[in-house]
Amino acid sequence: MKRNNTTSNNIYTLLLGMLALVPATVLAAPTGQALSFTCAGCHGTDGSSVGPSMPAIAGMDPEVFVDAMKAYRDDQRNPTIMNRMAKAYSDKQFKDMAWFFAGQRLHLFPQEHDAAMAARGAELHKKYCEKCHENGGRPGDAGTLAGQWMPYLEYTMDDFLNGKRKWPRKMRRKVDAAIADEGQEAVPAIIHYYGSQQ
Amino acid sequence: MPRSSALSRVTCLWVAFLSLIIMPPAYAEAEQSEGKLMIHNFDPETGKRIIPNERCLTCHGDEKQKTDVRDDGTPVKIFVHQKQIEASVHGELRCNDCHTTIERVPHRKAPHVVVGCIECHKETWEKYKDDPDGKHKRLKVVNDQVGSYMQSIHAQPSKQDQASTNATCYDCHEAHNVGELGSIQRKEKRLKNPEVCGRCHEEQLADYRTSNHGKAVLEKGDSDSAVCSDCHTTHAIDKPETDKAKLAITKNCGDCHKEAQRTYFDSYHGQVHRLGYTNTAKCHDCHGSHKIQGEDDPTSEIHANNRLENCRVCHEEANENFLTFWPHGDADDRANYPGLWIFKVFMQILIFSVMAFFWVHVVLWLYREAMDHFQGKSFAEDLDHPDVVYFRRFPVVWRWIHGLFAISTMTLILTGTTLLFSHTGWAKAVVAFLGGTEMEGIIHRTAAVFWLGIFISHLLIAISNIWRKRATFKWFGSTSMLPNMKDARDLRDMFKWFLGRGERPQFSQWTYWQKFDYWAPFWGAAVIGFSGILLFAPEKTALFLPGWMFNIATLIHAEEALLAAIFLNSVHFFNVHFRPERFPMSTTIFTGVIPIEEFKHDHHVEYERLVANGELDDYLVRRPSRRADLASSFITTVLIMSGLALLTLVLIGLMTTPS
Repeated sequence: MKRNNTTSNNIYTLLLGMLALVPATVLAAPTGQALSFTCAGCHGTDGSSVGPSMPAIAGMDPEVFVDAMKAYRDDQRNPTIMNRMAKAYSDKQFKDMAWFFAGQRLHLFPQEHDAAMAARGAELHKKYCEKCHENGGRPGDAGTLAGQWMPYLEYTMDDFLNGKRKWPRKMRRKVDAAIADEGQEAVPAIIHYYGSQQ
Repeated sequence: MPRSSALSRVTCLWVAFLSLIIMPPAYAEAEQSEGKLMIHNFDPETGKRIIPNERCLTCHGDEKQKTDVRDDGTPVKIFVHQKQIEASVHGELRCNDCHTTIERVPHRKAPHVVVGCIECHKETWEKYKDDPDGKHKRLKVVNDQVGSYMQSIHAQPSKQDQASTNATCYDCHEAHNVGELGSIQRKEKRLKNPEVCGRCHEEQLADYRTSNHGKAVLEKGDSDSAVCSDCHTTHAIDKPETDKAKLAITKNCGDCHKEAQRTYFDSYHGQVHRLGYTNTAKCHDCHGSHKIQGEDDPTSEIHANNRLENCRVCHEEANENFLTFWPHGDADDRANYPGLWIFKVFMQILIFSVMAFFWVHVVLWLYREAMDHFQGKSFAEDLDHPDVVYFRRFPVVWRWIHGLFAISTMTLILTGTTLLFSHTGWAKAVVAFLGGTEMEGIIHRTAAVFWLGIFISHLLIAISNIWRKRATFKWFGSTSMLPNMKDARDLRDMFKWFLGRGERPQFSQWTYWQKFDYWAPFWGAAVIGFSGILLFAPEKTALFLPGWMFNIATLIHAEEALLAAIFLNSVHFFNVHFRPERFPMSTTIFTGVIPIEEFKHDHHVEYERLVANGELDDYLVRRPSRRADLASSFITTVLIMSGLALLTLVLIGLMTTPS
């Protein structure tokens, strides 16, 4: 009888132990978050990066995220190390990560910028960029520009202008028009505008 | 219980409890933050991106930039009028509810306009058709129209590019500007209809602009005048060469020109057309189509100078007399067509008086014989001593002539009344069964030649009989068919008998109603035969008669035929077959003989005369063989049934004639 009691007690303990693990199992379910731990080193906690040349990806449009990851994996986009990183994940994992970051609020950090240039940039943005990069470039189906790190934007625009990255449809036409309109100051002005946003 | 085990359990319970309290807020953190996150731009159920209309209108609603440049450098119109679409029936939809291939904005690839209207309208109707508010009831019409469109020439693959149809919904409907019933959009759309069709049908639009219809619509903005879809239909559009299109267009002319259509359907041209055949003149054959003008316009196809040429398109040998034909002659229009009106009034008085008199005669006779029957006073066959002696009434030649005359008359009634009652379903079915109106015309004309041939043969035989007996022939003798005063007295006495005020009169060889049945076809043959010959070959008739004779001939041919059809299949059938003493039939006209007792009863005067003169034996014969009796019954039954069927069809036609 005593022996039987001991067995029952052990079973109770085991069951209670499993009960304690249930919330932990729930924690492990969003694999997107688990996968995103890898990104935190460069892109900051939950995608709000602190390194100025690393783009913030918190709050990013999930389909834009997946497009970017696929482009890196397929060597279609000029990488630093992202092509190597991207090759490690499946489409499903891209999607999980995308949805995790899309659910994060972007924490912006103040950046040094020229107010006059930012003001001019705002006008140029409105004229040439706003139709695609809506709401002043806030996260959307054309990426995240508002509050984005300025050095990152400069690198990216260099890539576009130097043929290292494929232009999205119509963007080259618009950038060319902006430069024709405002000269070489056009792109920096627009970058200052995005950097000025909080 | 060991202490460590108890401690573990307590710890586990606490961990579980605390985790359950702490975890949900940890997950909900993102949703509780202020402002909108990207994930809110996606449908939580389908995971698909939600693209608000404002996002599309950022570019497509920009009045300053109504065009864009394609990737190949060509310009493209991209402007959508925001207020128009919001006011349209589709105003509450999202752009990509229709533009389903648009999933990303900005577009990653040059978008193709791929819009499928049909499925959505079908599904929406299925979903809401039972809704009591009736808000979606118009969708039923839309789906009916979709059905018509799918059968139309527009839904056929284009000859230039089989990958697309000749035209699709949004080629004609401005999808961003579909107004509700009664809306200003719909009024505007009606006036724009010619221009919309003219985008593809350029030549037709150019012609239409010159027409009365076109000037009224395009120059004066008169939305009461005809636009393309009024004639060609909106969705069931077919090639104009097809019967379907010709029938639809002619029908549609009548939607506005009601009187013209009514009088057209009264004409031979219209009767054939209403049967569903297009080999006779239709509205546009005479009046023209896209360039249509009033008759005073020298370019009009119905202008006096152009009319003969117009007739000759079909009637190649038409002469000047054709010009006096009244294509829309209206027998009810006394002011404009007094000649036609007079003939109609005369024929109708004739029909009504003859039918009224004889139907009263029939009803009273039925009453009297029925009463006599119930009172046991009527003539009845003695079953214990059936007649074996018969009286010979008709020689073989008259029996054949009556049989063939009956068959050809019924053939003429059947084929003729299909035209007269071309509005009925039975007429269409009969004509289809016969192989169309042209075959029907051939059958009618053949039967007419046959019918007239029989009539003339009978006349020749009768004349030769009289000629052979000319020395002894008595024009008003007891066997004469000529009416005499006794007939008048018999008629009077019959009515007295009907009303129980006298005895049944004793008749001679031929009773007054038999004489009427004999002489009526003389009148009928003259009227129907003469008018029929005029109509037989119009080009030949027009060599010596004016065109309006066709109108009069058509009228009296039809009216007299109607009288004959009703009289023969009702009054004649009753007198000979259906009155109680004879019911169900008399086969005398095929056996040629009647039982001697019946002869004695029905033609007592003649019987007495023959007995008195000792001539009765000359006419007595044996009872017909059983086979001859059966054959006669069979033929009589077939003819009676055919006659009753024809009478039914005629009455259906009369009762359903459009007013």
